[in-house]
Amino acid sequence: MSDSVFGRSQVERESALLTELTELTEHHRAHSVQYDRILASLGIEKGRRFDRLADLPWLPVRMFKTHDLKSIPDDEVFKVLTSSGTTGAGASRIYLDKEAAAVQPRMLGATLREVLGGKRLPMLMIDTISIIKNRRSFSARGAGVLGMANFGRAHVYALDENDQPDVEAVKGFLEKHGGEPFLIFGFTFMVWQYLYEVAKEHKLDLSNGILIHSGGWKKLIDIAVDNSEFRRRFAEDTGLTQIHNYYGMIEQIGTVFLEGPSGNSLYCPEFAEVIIRNPDTWEEQPVGEPGVIEVISTLPRSYPGHVLLTEDLGVVHGIDDGDWPGKRFSVLGRLPRAEARGCSDTFSGAVA
Amino acid sequence: MKRRFPAGPDTNVDDLLAGLASEPEGGRLKVGDERIVDFLVSFARKLLAPATARRYPELASLGFFLRRGEIAKVLRAVETNPGVLRFPRGMVFHVPPANVDTIFVYSWALSALAGNRNVVRISPRSAGAAEAVVEALNAALADAHPAVAQTQVMVTYDRDDKITAALSAACDLRVIWGGDRAVTEVRKMPLAPHSRDVTFPDRASFAAISVAGWEAATPEQRRDVAVGFYNDSYWFDQAACASPRALFWVGDEKGAEAGREEFRRLLIDVVAQKELVVEPAMAVQKRVSAYGVAADGHATSIRFDGNAVATLELTSPGEVPREWLGVGTFPLATLPSLDALVSLVERKDQTLSVFGFSQQELEDLAHDLAGRGIDRIVPFGSALTFSERWDGYDLLAEFTRLVTVQA
Repeated sequence: MSDSVFGRSQVERESALLTELTELTEHHRAHSVQYDRILASLGIEKGRRFDRLADLPWLPVRMFKTHDLKSIPDDEVFKVLTSSGTTGAGASRIYLDKEAAAVQPRMLGATLREVLGGKRLPMLMIDTISIIKNRRSFSARGAGVLGMANFGRAHVYALDENDQPDVEAVKGFLEKHGGEPFLIFGFTFMVWQYLYEVAKEHKLDLSNGILIHSGGWKKLIDIAVDNSEFRRRFAEDTGLTQIHNYYGMIEQIGTVFLEGPSGNSLYCPEFAEVIIRNPDTWEEQPVGEPGVIEVISTLPRSYPGHVLLTEDLGVVHGIDDGDWPGKRFSVLGRLPRAEARGCSDTFSGAVA
Repeated sequence: MKRRFPAGPDTNVDDLLAGLASEPEGGRLKVGDERIVDFLVSFARKLLAPATARRYPELASLGFFLRRGEIAKVLRAVETNPGVLRFPRGMVFHVPPANVDTIFVYSWALSALAGNRNVVRISPRSAGAAEAVVEALNAALADAHPAVAQTQVMVTYDRDDKITAALSAACDLRVIWGGDRAVTEVRKMPLAPHSRDVTFPDRASFAAISVAGWEAATPEQRRDVAVGFYNDSYWFDQAACASPRALFWVGDEKGAEAGREEFRRLLIDVVAQKELVVEPAMAVQKRVSAYGVAADGHATSIRFDGNAVATLELTSPGEVPREWLGVGTFPLATLPSLDALVSLVERKDQTLSVFGFSQQELEDLAHDLAGRGIDRIVPFGSALTFSERWDGYDLLAEFTRLVTVQA
């Protein structure tokens, strides 16, 4: 596809990204006094050139929970995204202006087009309709479902309003659409629990499906299902082989790192990049060495989230040697949470 | 609820209170009761046993605090004049914090020494050293007077307002550790009219080095200063109320600059020698905090020496952060003199660890502060050493009542 975001080799994308991100760093300095103060305190002068992507200054992603960081004036704020994440301490607040709000679904679409093609496919949602119906308890999960719904049509939900598997609905969907390509979306553990288990039991044929899923492996690792096992059993028991896990976070909304067709590696779209850092020296790790994941994206323009250190661990498996060009990597889990002893049970502002 | 000490079957609050109300064997406890003193001394010996002390150095400090000689000193300090008699308050309910494993033992031990019947609520989240303490207490009970088991109880229960309310209503004194939130929570439960609270809310502490004192010190002394500062800061992850949250250099600017640089290098050496490892998640936490201080405009520069030592140059001393910034994160500022400290101290401030000042200088500072903040000024290395005078309280006095008699 001519407009693929998975076309460029590592060298090509790095030089393009370096120029854009250097400009973006200056942009955020000019428009966010807080961001500028942070860089100044680290001794990074304005107008600094960077030789490599790894030299760009990063912010810990949790800064968006403790501070309102934005590079737009208050009257241009169009949308504020919030998410509590998994640390359970405060929510990230991500400020978007009109332009940013328009760019992020477009780039998400461009990324997913690589595996979905240009047409909207019939879509099976592995979630409950009430997750988007019930606005009062609107959650990050609901926002994810709603955001992804745009990429499909003729949506059917696999769970009823009481969170019970709706086997008849799934069967009906497959009768109607199962003979042509269709899209399946859900969070990883729900896909396992409510699609795999149900499909296996009822011998459903998912061989024309394209599964997009995300959300972490913790609950599945507990029952000894990792990514390879997930793919193997889906293929064996349901015929589903087009499976794409993705990695992304609300702090870089619109940017997802997508699993390639042969599985077990995530790839960066051209407007994004990952760097794995050594947790002691914070230098970039060589290929094969695990470390803390830094995510880079050119999308965040309304808030300084273009270079973020996550609290996830990962490893780069190779460069320009997989399904698509660029780095391929895996997420290995989360950094164990930092906790301190102290006289006080709560540290105001500290663990936010 | 779980009965942790004396170890036994689960109990309920009515049975527990009924048990405490009955007269103990050998009569009611007195201030400095021998039955309690003997028990504390034998408990201390168990804490000082090499295996325990090696595993939990903070328990060794507790063990030292409870030696017979130390106990005698504490008791002597509250001796009264003729015609003034000191008695226990009665039943004391202790609500300790979850995060510091041992602090509840100090307040309980002093209250027991005062002759009170005590109920201590040990947090279900407590672990490690707290478990070792409970074990040692139960082990020491074997050869203790039966009155100990009849008057001293430690229990664990999940958040249950009914139990906390019943114990609050029944006690003559309530001791609340655990910071502002814990104090506010527990205070919702009414006390009997005659009863009252001793509270330990959130506190902040600082360290100060005299530039002149530093310049006069030998290389060995300077190294000791760094070691003392290390102990004060890195034990309890710099999160105890007495852990220094910032370091002030007091004296001339140029001397301070040289001193700070040397001190930073010494501290890095000490950290390396102690083989301290700061976990990656904590290292990230430190960056979140330090960047946050900079983002708020309170720091002009941040420096990381590995994951273990982070230093921040404060925009001005008045903007010193009081919140916890992560293990080994030190905002720095230079003050021309100790006077300059007076205006930035708040009620919340507890401990000032110091090096290089004279007793007179420090007493002058205390007079200038006039009790509006800073309850203790201690040498480097002693910030975390518990004392019966804490947070401005004379604890043994708090745990007792006075009766005057005139014929």
